[in-house]
Amino acid sequence: MIVKLEEILFIVTVLTYLVASGVYIWHLISNSQKAGQLGTMLLVLGLFAHTMALIFRWVDSGHAPMSDSYESLAVFSWGIVLFYLIMERIYAIRAAGAVVVPTAFIIASIALVLNKGPNPLVPALQSYWLWIHVSIAMLSYGFFALAFGAGFFYIIQEHLLKKHYQNVVIAFVIMFSVLGLAVGLWLGFGVWAHPLDIVDPVTKEHSNQYSGTDIIKIIGGGGIGLAIGVLLGFLAGKGASKPGFARRLPSLDVLDEVSYRAIAFGFPMVTIGIITGAIWADKAWGRYWSWDPKETWSLITWLFYGAYLHTRLTWGWRGRHSAVIAVLGIVIVLFTYLGVNYLLSGLHTYASA
Amino acid sequence: MCVHRPVPPAGGAAPLTCGRPFPVSSLQEANSENIAALPKKASKPQLSAGKRIFHFLISMKLALTLLFVIAILSIIGTILPQGQDVLNSDWPKSPLYDFYNTLGLFNMYYSWWFLSVLGLLVLSLSACIFNRLPTTVKHVFKPRIDVKDAFVANQPLAESFAGGSSVAAAAEVLRRRHYRIKTGKTGSMLAQKGRFSGLASVSFHLSFLLIAAGAVLGGLFGFDYTLSVPNGQLVNVPHSNMQVENHRFDMQFVGKALLDDGRTVQVRQLMDGTVVRDINDGGNIVGQPFDLRPSLYSTDLEIFQNGKSIQRKTIQVNDPLELNGINFYQASFNQSSDGTVVSILEVNHYPGKTLVYIGAFLMMGSITLALYFPHRRIWLKLGKSGRLLIGGRTNRSKLGFKRDFERITADIKLRIGQEAGADDS
Repeated sequence: MIVKLEEILFIVTVLTYLVASGVYIWHLISNSQKAGQLGTMLLVLGLFAHTMALIFRWVDSGHAPMSDSYESLAVFSWGIVLFYLIMERIYAIRAAGAVVVPTAFIIASIALVLNKGPNPLVPALQSYWLWIHVSIAMLSYGFFALAFGAGFFYIIQEHLLKKHYQNVVIAFVIMFSVLGLAVGLWLGFGVWAHPLDIVDPVTKEHSNQYSGTDIIKIIGGGGIGLAIGVLLGFLAGKGASKPGFARRLPSLDVLDEVSYRAIAFGFPMVTIGIITGAIWADKAWGRYWSWDPKETWSLITWLFYGAYLHTRLTWGWRGRHSAVIAVLGIVIVLFTYLGVNYLLSGLHTYASA
Repeated sequence: MCVHRPVPPAGGAAPLTCGRPFPVSSLQEANSENIAALPKKASKPQLSAGKRIFHFLISMKLALTLLFVIAILSIIGTILPQGQDVLNSDWPKSPLYDFYNTLGLFNMYYSWWFLSVLGLLVLSLSACIFNRLPTTVKHVFKPRIDVKDAFVANQPLAESFAGGSSVAAAAEVLRRRHYRIKTGKTGSMLAQKGRFSGLASVSFHLSFLLIAAGAVLGGLFGFDYTLSVPNGQLVNVPHSNMQVENHRFDMQFVGKALLDDGRTVQVRQLMDGTVVRDINDGGNIVGQPFDLRPSLYSTDLEIFQNGKSIQRKTIQVNDPLELNGINFYQASFNQSSDGTVVSILEVNHYPGKTLVYIGAFLMMGSITLALYFPHRRIWLKLGKSGRLLIGGRTNRSKLGFKRDFERITADIKLRIGQEAGADDS
């Protein structure tokens, strides 16, 4: 009974976010205050359903909802919406909702597709470190995503102010195509491909084996994602190439500061995420560091943003340079969060189950 | 890897070295915070080999290059299978296998060249800390208070007020805003917030060294192996005078089962195959349970020393036994040909672990201090022109400081206005 209710609540959540996305985009285009208020109302309702769905999931599975891709993404999108609503209440940034809410919708709908029902935790995950480590890691990903968004709009705003509309379109196309490619590849891996589930007869440990058709599906997913990304990027770029759009965006100074501030929050978070992970690994496997791919990629993320902070605080880099680094960083973050689970094998592989 | 105090103006020439290649006195000079005032490279032609190596080590370019190299090498290590994993892969059949193996690519994180890069980073960090420490300590504990008029006026944020106003009155405004005030010999004042923020960058880099030292200590004096202990048997623990007995290895699975009324329920399967389920579900199970996943591995261990039992504990994944610095972890299990169940333990001893954890906590504290507690400095003095000069700078969050500074100048104006009014009456 309770499982069904959780699923219905999550479907309601995703549908509400879809409608809210439309309303927020309408608000950005028409500048209608009524639309803005309606969007906020819908988003609050969606967040309520989302929260209930997560609570039901938690009660049903008996552990914090952070053990597989569905749970991790469901919590991630929940965090985005909650964080955004708080931000919207403090600052008047409803225009940003046109980007944030569709992002939350996409992530939540991918989670919906991946939901395979609750699973018992494998022994390695049975620890209170699960929710501490995972929630901190996801918080850091969220801040890096925010830094990416602000950095991206910094670049857009700079080109808009110089009236380099061609570059605006190019920037949009590059961003959308990379994100489209990532989402497509990942849909191919996580949803379309049906690898052979190989179960070890003694230990009952699961592992995946991909066939030729699976590979075609994965590459196809990437191709479709790329094509849709290029198209959407072109349309968005053309749509944004107006002097009026620059006035809707925050000033260059504010975007630069927001991007830096987000990294200044994300960097300590990823540090704590790595340290809690080390403490947990020490308890579970007897080693605080084993150069597991997830560990290594989180170290790469750490080094990358550490370098960002050095260029900024020591060399005094600002503006476009910093924005470009913040934008590139998202590729590493995406790979650490999702790519590692699907493309590389290691101790964290249960995350893709 | 070390953080420079003088932050150059946006887009300006960037200093490529940290700290002392420039004389300390020049750092303290009026406009030294502006990098253009620093001596040019040409002014240091004859340097000894040692100094040249030192300058090479403290350069930010080297540190960032090393970070980049470590990141790239690490990526290779995540793509190629490492350690034991390579034997389970197709790589041994590849013609490139021998070549890659000689290069150490299959045990990359422990290869001499990867460790050398890490070692070079540690050297660079140490040199930076050594280089930065004196100036940082001086900066934090003996800040410059008596400054020239131009120094105050040339700060990124500066303001001046009409004559007749006292420095003390302005300082009072700053004190109310939680600034710490220091008065110099000439009557100038320095108001500061977050002055320990400067130390944070040094302690951050120090924490990095502690972690590295812990890792090296563990690598040199630690050990780490798997130990197979069959059910009911006593086995010697290598590198120690202890024995370990496995009283009973246990495991459980959680999965699903189909009931005769078509429902699916959650069940538990014990090691001997018994299926346990919630009696309240009713109905009868049809066929075998499916979707089984391991939910518990545990071993009832007893440790002996010189024939005497010294500890007994049932260990699980995530719940090891720790004794005399040696840790016993539940790693896995195996079944020997005669049907005996063998518990596989991970036994290790890492003497540097405490250092690593101290380093980790120091790192978290330093990052928080360095990023969230900006060092704000405001100098106050009565200028030669008779005007009250105030000028300030911060090392982080310029926008926040600007708002703070605007509120402060507004308050000072108000205060001066009141004082002027009081004088009139």
